[in-house]
Amino acid sequence: MFITEGFWRSIILFILGLVVVYFILNVTVFKKLQNKSKAQNILLNVFVFLGVLFLFYKLYSVIPEIINPPQFYAQNILNRTLYVCVLALATTGIVLIFKTSNTTNFAQGMIGAVGAFVAAKLVIYFTATYTTMGNTPMILLALVGGALVAFLLGVFVDVVIIRNSKMPTVVGKQMITMGLVLIFTGVIPLIFGTIPMSVPKLVYGDNIAFTLLGLELVITPNALAALVITIVVLGILFIMLRVTKWGLGVRATASNEVVASMMGVNTKMITAMSWGIAGLLGGIAATMWAPNTSSVGVDLMIPTQVNGFMAAILGGFGSFVGPLISSMLIPVLTGLLSFVALGWENAVVYAVILAIVLFKPLGLFGKQVAKKV
Amino acid sequence: MILQNKMCAERKAKLNAIKNHPYFGFVVITFLMLIVQLLRVSGLDIPVVLLRAFGFTMIYIIIALGFSILLGYGGLASLGTAGFVGVGTYVVGYLTNQFEMSIFLIVLITIVGAVVIGTIVGFISLRIEGMYLAIITLGLSEILKEVFKNATTITNGTNGLSLGTIVIFKQAIELNHNAIFIVIALIMLFIMIITLNLMKSPTGRALLAMRNSQSAAQAMGVSIFKYRLLAFITSTVYALLGGVLYMTYIGFSIPSTWSLGFSLNILAAVIVGGSQSIYGIVLGTFMIFGLNLAVLQQIPLFVENPAISVVFNGFLIIAVIMFYPGGLIRLINSMNYKIKTNYQLWKKKRRAYIYGDDPE
Repeated sequence: MFITEGFWRSIILFILGLVVVYFILNVTVFKKLQNKSKAQNILLNVFVFLGVLFLFYKLYSVIPEIINPPQFYAQNILNRTLYVCVLALATTGIVLIFKTSNTTNFAQGMIGAVGAFVAAKLVIYFTATYTTMGNTPMILLALVGGALVAFLLGVFVDVVIIRNSKMPTVVGKQMITMGLVLIFTGVIPLIFGTIPMSVPKLVYGDNIAFTLLGLELVITPNALAALVITIVVLGILFIMLRVTKWGLGVRATASNEVVASMMGVNTKMITAMSWGIAGLLGGIAATMWAPNTSSVGVDLMIPTQVNGFMAAILGGFGSFVGPLISSMLIPVLTGLLSFVALGWENAVVYAVILAIVLFKPLGLFGKQVAKKV
Repeated sequence: MILQNKMCAERKAKLNAIKNHPYFGFVVITFLMLIVQLLRVSGLDIPVVLLRAFGFTMIYIIIALGFSILLGYGGLASLGTAGFVGVGTYVVGYLTNQFEMSIFLIVLITIVGAVVIGTIVGFISLRIEGMYLAIITLGLSEILKEVFKNATTITNGTNGLSLGTIVIFKQAIELNHNAIFIVIALIMLFIMIITLNLMKSPTGRALLAMRNSQSAAQAMGVSIFKYRLLAFITSTVYALLGGVLYMTYIGFSIPSTWSLGFSLNILAAVIVGGSQSIYGIVLGTFMIFGLNLAVLQQIPLFVENPAISVVFNGFLIIAVIMFYPGGLIRLINSMNYKIKTNYQLWKKKRRAYIYGDDPE
């Protein structure tokens, strides 16, 4: 789209320079230091930050002067609001399950897709029976309905399948969720058939224009509504994690399941609730994302799921905040990269994540957990 | 009389030696496959669908064997299989269409490429472990899929790349399904023998030790670095080889084939059959792929609802992991053992009844 001469070359040179500087410092300076690993860690953080910053700067600098770069840049970031919301919800669900069940749930997207299917069916039902109902209340009701079904499905999966598996090793649990993906892929079309229409947007209407720091920006009302819903839902979730007994239980189970159950924490209940809430988050995410596709399909959430995993890996499974920040970073970066590499943006983002994870295996915000042998 | 008995015993011992040879089962499987093909060539009306199903299943067995070295012996879950197989198909397609290279040279190039890719992934796996590895390899597979879609000069994009001829000894030869079927069967036999030797060698035992406890293995002097790299390289070579065979067999490759679903199905085949046994993998691949391709697609109910077979695969995976963690082959082995012991007990009792022996 824009002139990208020397773009990739400068980025690759910069990253290679950082790597070389890191290794030189490693050999010369850090060898003599007392707390070597801490200094290394700080340096790595600084370098990763510098690299990402440089990438963003370079993406800014390729915009030609004619189209007012700051505004164009900010508008492009703002255009990704809806997807940021969807990804944040999906990623939080994945991390929640990881915290309590110690497994990565590959069926998260599929459970969410079931929620979207239920929402679509509800919308069809509402439009047929209650013709006077407005669009927004109808879709909100459908959203709640879909999310509740996804909640029940999540609880069902944990109580019936995960809890009863004979030898729940880490990889075994992961494979059970992969099997679930196959089951859902087959069962969803059998139950729901094909839905020719899509879920309507939350709010229709003209774009809302506003001025921020002298930049004239616009946002669609749908994206704004999605942002509000996401902030409310995630806010309630984080307050629950901090304040309620369930949140304490989740944190206890995350740190050590056996000890938590010995201390009187009902870990089964906690785990089941976590699966349910993860399903709920997935259901909301899928229903909000569904209007962007022509029809609700089984593969609705698969790209989002892959991105969610990537966000969780980049942020570090250990924390909730890290994945949240990375789930903002990934869509924004994808949107900006489409200036310079249309069609290749996903591949480039994944490659960047791979490179970062190679140097920081626990993610940007992950903490080392001491393991007993 | 005595001489006759002796000869008989000798013959029996010889037969037993052949029967108990570790390669015997592999040869029998290959032979059965070849017989199907030979019957077809000789004019018997065996449906083409069945033949293709067997061909595909054999290719998938090769890929699954590589995966079993990773999962069953190395304990490393990878979801990058689909991407690697895709690379194999495109390498053979591009090099043949553009440069008319000999197929032997292409296989050599593929193996070298596989070693390079395997080394890279192996290095990644040294830093990232357990569940994270599955996700990272999934990301790698997604990158490869994007490359297949977008590098249109090499892969012809989403339209798919087709291959009409292969070059052998500077002569372009049209793809012949029947001939390639035989080659695939022989390569499968070869790969099975190599895999068995790998599994039963010190390398296999070191991998097993690494799978059970990394720290313990390291304490016993097993180099994690070396064996992880080796496991990944072997698995990648098998996957790329499978890709080459796939392309020469069917002559068409399209990016949507090499998605997460393919990796999951290979995983399902390895898990369902039993990830540490070659017969288990053969059984699992036939359950997941062969049954679907050969039998279920003939029945109208399944043709109308292709989803049912997918559900069946999913149920199989979950049921096997939930109730038979060793795979179906362990179930069969234990049942076999039970039947044998019960039969021998019954035989003893019967002898005691007839001749008055002591049953114990």
